[in-house]
Amino acid sequence: MDGLQSLSNDLAAAVERGGRAVFKVAGRPRLASTGVHWRQGLVVTADHTVHADEDVTITGPDGRALTARVAGRDPTIDIAVLKVDAPGVPVADVADSQEVRVGHIVLALGAGPRASWGVVSSIGEGRRARGPAPELLHLDLTLYPGFSGGPLVDTQGRVVGINTSGASRHWHLAIPAAAVDRLVDELMRRGHIPRAYLGVSTQPVRLPEPLRQRHGLDQQTAVIVVEVQSGSPAAAAGLSIGDVIVSLGANRITDPTDLKATLRPERVGESITASVLRGGEPKELQVTVGERPRRG
Amino acid sequence: MASPGTGAALSAVIDIAALAEQLRQVTVEVTDGGELLGSGVLWPPGFVVTNAHVVRRREVALRLVDGRLVHARVPARDPDADLALLGVPGTGLPSATPAEPGSVRIGSFVAAVGHPLGVRGALTTGIVCAMGPIDRSGRAWIQADLRLAPGNSGGPLADAAGHVVGVNSRAAGPLALAVPMDQVEHFVRDARV
Repeated sequence: MDGLQSLSNDLAAAVERGGRAVFKVAGRPRLASTGVHWRQGLVVTADHTVHADEDVTITGPDGRALTARVAGRDPTIDIAVLKVDAPGVPVADVADSQEVRVGHIVLALGAGPRASWGVVSSIGEGRRARGPAPELLHLDLTLYPGFSGGPLVDTQGRVVGINTSGASRHWHLAIPAAAVDRLVDELMRRGHIPRAYLGVSTQPVRLPEPLRQRHGLDQQTAVIVVEVQSGSPAAAAGLSIGDVIVSLGANRITDPTDLKATLRPERVGESITASVLRGGEPKELQVTVGERPRRG
Repeated sequence: MASPGTGAALSAVIDIAALAEQLRQVTVEVTDGGELLGSGVLWPPGFVVTNAHVVRRREVALRLVDGRLVHARVPARDPDADLALLGVPGTGLPSATPAEPGSVRIGSFVAAVGHPLGVRGALTTGIVCAMGPIDRSGRAWIQADLRLAPGNSGGPLADAAGHVVGVNSRAAGPLALAVPMDQVEHFVRDARV
């Protein structure tokens, strides 16, 4: 039984190691969530668990209560980044989430510490989830109350993602560490997390079979532009009311949610090709993703 | 002392079947003579430990792993601790090996054997999720990320070596709650005086 004993020791050691960078986040009434000290002074958690932007009480692994504020949010992947002065609390050992494979044993950590285990059951788009995002980790494990925002760690205690039960009603998911890294990079580069913006309102539309066949489209639906805001990136690119957007960059657009999911914060400033049907004929437009003006 | 994790455990041989067999040897069925009431753990010397909520009577019948049906008295019962002690002298069967109190860590592998929903000797596995109270009552549990069902009550929760770390008491949603070993030993010590 030595193998089992050493697996058991590995798992407990992984919890201990991963738990050193775990915070309890009191960002909503009643149920506290979990956060991870991602980089010095920056704690990552699940966006849906932090209601206010200021005076968020977070408690470190040493039991010290600290006051944090929201430095940026990306509701599309359910991530919030908190700024806090946390000297003495180690930052998480973040692994390359690209190396995670279906079947890998993983542990979900909650503040406390608490832990659950299971396997990665699939990796891919969160298509029917509330905020679809690419490359989500679907988990065959239990996220207990308060686990949202906590780290998903491998058997060595290295963080491979951030757990959330908020992104989907049916799946327990983790946002891969690489996506969190990109977001934190944006925050550090710009000082805030931008909200990407095109300046169009759209509605889903069914693509008639003859049209699909003529243009070799394998999607059943797309979105039709019903409003173009003046002075917006969409207006500058020449998008008009009635244009049917089929894809944006490499992403197929089958409904307005796809459009939102494509507009990741890190794409602000990027020029992408919008494939549209105008009067039934294909047309390509270059659109530069803008940044939604910030309130206040 | 715990060995440092190497992450290489999966490449080693992991014999969960042997662990299951070892635990089945020390797990009994607690019945009223016909109906299954729950599970129990053979405890040294000549006792069975189970949950108080499993035995609400003065006498029960135990079905041993070898199929024998033996009658047992219930000399001690503590509903607050949810523990009961049964006297079963001379079964000739080995008793469970209690783990050192406090030997489990959060994340440690654990296994439960019992008779959930009447399935004899069923094994479920998981890890220790947390230790301590789950509500304002303040009583401490081993909280395991492991599946329990009615019929598991009173059965062993064991570590990777097959040493008993707690007595399974109930499920709280997907969480298993077990009475920790220090409480079990305290109860057995008091009950025997």
